[in-house]
Amino acid sequence: MKHKIRKLRYLVIGVMLLLFVMTTVAPKSARAQDLLTFEKRMTEFTLDNGMKFLVLERHEAPVVSFHTYADVGAVDEVKGITGMAHLFEHMAFKGTRTVGTTDYESEAKALALADQAFEAMKLERRKGDRAHKVKLEELQKQLEQAQEEIQKYLVHDEFEEALVREGGAGFNAYTSQDATQYILSLPSNKIELWMSMESDRFANPVLREFYKEKDVVMEERRLSTESQPVGRLLEEFLAIAYKAHPYGEPIVGHMSDLETLTRSEAEMFFKKYYLPSNLTVAIVGDVNPKQIKELAEKYFSRIPSGPKPDPVETVEPPQLGQRRVIVQDPAQPFVLIGYHKPNINHSDNAVFDAITEIAGIGRTSRLYKSLVKEKKVAVAASGFPGMPGNKYPGLFLFYAVPARDHTNQECEEAIYAEIEKLKTEPVLPEELAKAKTRSRAGLIRQLDSNSGLASQLTFYDVVTGDWRNLFKQLDDIDKVIAEDIQRVAKQYFTNKNQTVGIIDTTITEK
Amino acid sequence: MRAYKSSAGRTVIFGILVLCFIVTSCTQNSPLHYKQLKYSKLGDIQIPEVQQVTLTNGMRLFLLEDHELPLISVSARIRAGSIYEPPDKIGLAAITGTVMRTGGTVSRTGDEIDEQLELIAASVETGIGLNSGSASVSVLKNDIDVGLDILADVLMNPAFREDKIMLAKIQHQSSIARRNDDVGSIAAREFEKLIYGSDSVYARHTEYATIGSISRDDLVAFHKKFFGPDNMMLGIWGDFDTDIMIRKIEKAFEGWEKVDKQLPKVPSVEYEFPKTVNMIRKDDVNQSNIYLGHIGGLRSDPDYFALILMNRILGSGFTSRLFKNVRSREGLAYSVFGIYSANYDFPGLFYVGCQTKSEATIKAIRAMTDEVRKMTESEVTDEELALAKDSYLNSFVFNFDTKGEIVGRLMTYAYYDYPLDFLQKTKENVEKVTKKDVLRVAKKYLRPDEVQILAVGRPEDFDEPLSVLGSVKEIDITIPVPKK
Repeated sequence: MKHKIRKLRYLVIGVMLLLFVMTTVAPKSARAQDLLTFEKRMTEFTLDNGMKFLVLERHEAPVVSFHTYADVGAVDEVKGITGMAHLFEHMAFKGTRTVGTTDYESEAKALALADQAFEAMKLERRKGDRAHKVKLEELQKQLEQAQEEIQKYLVHDEFEEALVREGGAGFNAYTSQDATQYILSLPSNKIELWMSMESDRFANPVLREFYKEKDVVMEERRLSTESQPVGRLLEEFLAIAYKAHPYGEPIVGHMSDLETLTRSEAEMFFKKYYLPSNLTVAIVGDVNPKQIKELAEKYFSRIPSGPKPDPVETVEPPQLGQRRVIVQDPAQPFVLIGYHKPNINHSDNAVFDAITEIAGIGRTSRLYKSLVKEKKVAVAASGFPGMPGNKYPGLFLFYAVPARDHTNQECEEAIYAEIEKLKTEPVLPEELAKAKTRSRAGLIRQLDSNSGLASQLTFYDVVTGDWRNLFKQLDDIDKVIAEDIQRVAKQYFTNKNQTVGIIDTTITEK
Repeated sequence: MRAYKSSAGRTVIFGILVLCFIVTSCTQNSPLHYKQLKYSKLGDIQIPEVQQVTLTNGMRLFLLEDHELPLISVSARIRAGSIYEPPDKIGLAAITGTVMRTGGTVSRTGDEIDEQLELIAASVETGIGLNSGSASVSVLKNDIDVGLDILADVLMNPAFREDKIMLAKIQHQSSIARRNDDVGSIAAREFEKLIYGSDSVYARHTEYATIGSISRDDLVAFHKKFFGPDNMMLGIWGDFDTDIMIRKIEKAFEGWEKVDKQLPKVPSVEYEFPKTVNMIRKDDVNQSNIYLGHIGGLRSDPDYFALILMNRILGSGFTSRLFKNVRSREGLAYSVFGIYSANYDFPGLFYVGCQTKSEATIKAIRAMTDEVRKMTESEVTDEELALAKDSYLNSFVFNFDTKGEIVGRLMTYAYYDYPLDFLQKTKENVEKVTKKDVLRVAKKYLRPDEVQILAVGRPEDFDEPLSVLGSVKEIDITIPVPKK
């Protein structure tokens, strides 16, 4: 609930998009107007400590959506602490020094005892077979005793209750490779409640119930990855697509890392990444920007400033040849084909967007027409960019779900035939026109929801440097010509730059 | 006198304001704890009025203007559903709903419709579910004529071309082949069959044989029986003028013949509260999917309002007992849920469930059963009831934050013949619920000792054998071989 693995969502969304195209067209002139009317309703400000706010007035209903975008995700982890960004997201619901506890000072002592016991156990376990069994049992007892002591001071789920009681809706958080995002909507007379809770969350967090929450996250890993055929495939696929860059590591983390993560490691992670300079907030709805600014200063100024953390500097080296992973599984076949591409700020980004519209999405897309309607080898087929992230160079991912009695190989070949066509023949003018129309329409469709807008504004502002790019991306796609598509297809969709992952059904249907 | 009094009152208020101002200006930079906050009253919720019109052909319209964006959305509801399909042709309703659109109309193919719509980035979709059919349009306002024209054509004159029937069948056959890949959907599907019965219209599902026996003639007949203006309602919201829109709709559906509305009654459910323990083996998982429960209820039940609060306290959301105890306190599951669900015209399900590591299966079943039992044994606390009520009432405004949901809700009430102000009634009744009511309905509707239990996973890894809970029935989910 508090977490969705982005990569899975994209895939599901991809499938959904194929089945239900829900977009609409905007007249060409609407674009400029959108930006203009938006600028009028937008207020931007940055606090002295570096925290940025984007405020958009939308008085349709007396409600407000809040979106906090922390520019830290799984990509910022190193080996040994995979899963940390996501685990921290869970911990951010556990309260503060004054929320979730009856007596923080006594609680802190008990928390320290639990940490000592856990860290001693970790050391002892490193000895492997030579680990002292009795000692481990004693430490386990100490840990449990400390946890019982902690329970005395705990006010369970007070953070959630305080917000839900006042009518909080859409209360959730997401961790992706690129970011950690916290979302909530409230009736518009409760703005100060969000200010109080959200600022306290990042000014005075207490990582309580840490070891129990690790168990919850391990269940989440079992649920989303280990017990799901496509989850298993994706983890293997990304691991071979990236040998250097952390995009190859799972967001939820490796089981062994989850087992050994400590609370002090989580606190260090927090101190490094949850600085005001690394946080951007969008507030959309029935608000008065002046009041928002006053309240933001009153509440968020208490978070001490610090330097913006360094980005990931590891660069994925060019591939030397095709990579392929075959997951042997009882599940039905599935095929993924990925090509490394630049990040979202590269000048070819709009060309990839056009390719997505022409080849990847909708009933008239080339992949759907060829694989599903005509050859009937697949029940779904699509292609889209930004997997597993957009901030750093990600993959353009094609996938197909083979129809019954059809194979991965047939689907793979049909996808290659479409890719070849992109390289050798210019796309038709009407295909290009359709791509542009649909992009515009897609944007208009996103403007009717407070929470959707808040999410888009923070994404574009943080990842592309300016929220206006939400609109300007349309200018870029308008400039795309048929030759661009051929050039990009030839340059990136090469055998050498390719990673393939398939589910090979080892137990066939009876 | 009156004037004097009121001006004196104002002075007093003004004085207080000045005082407050002085006090707060001293402390205005220190953030407040949430418990110190006071809120102004939320401005009145402007609930826009939905225009209701019944056309001479019997079609019922629900219209709501919304001029924020240049968009128009249409949503139709048709009385039809898979509950009306014969048992040897399961899938007929769904395939009819799909091919109405993909198979095109008498005058244009489905592929031509695809091209026409995608050029203007619009959509027209159709579908038939368990107990209702649906159709939708989403267009820029300038394209509404095209959208309505295609919608009417698809609903009135579907051609059911054979190639698209075949395509729909491939989709269904492929999902049959894949239906045992995902452990979560196995658990949900088989639990429904346990409660309603595997032949029940509310739980049965497609097989290769039922898909194989569906012909084009079946689709034509199914469509003819249900699709007519007097068996349909249409909701429209967006950037239009209501009077003009009504005329457009009249014109688009001109000449459509009425249908015989004498549909059989929605099948009832007989349930005898058996106590069973069931297991499905799934070797490629390390987590058990667990459901336990029995039959649920109807929204028209006067106890529905107390059950809403009972559900909030027992199992829905971050603040429920199941979430707190099974997830936060025990760390047993990422996802844990429980609800006594109520439908509009046939009984829902009561279930609690979670996914937990194989080694904690029995422990989790016991922990969840305990929570259900506790609901029936003692009153909830004042705090729990207050939290459940406050969260329901304070978030009530979110029922009105999009126009689409306002229209959709009204159509739902009309479709199932509920009072159109059912939501307001629900609110008023929820406000009146007491702790005694919650205990009374928990005792009346929850039967923790008469549940059916289903665990999907690897039984050899369970913490204790499932048989400690009762004699275990293993359910075979092998997919029946298709007849060639």
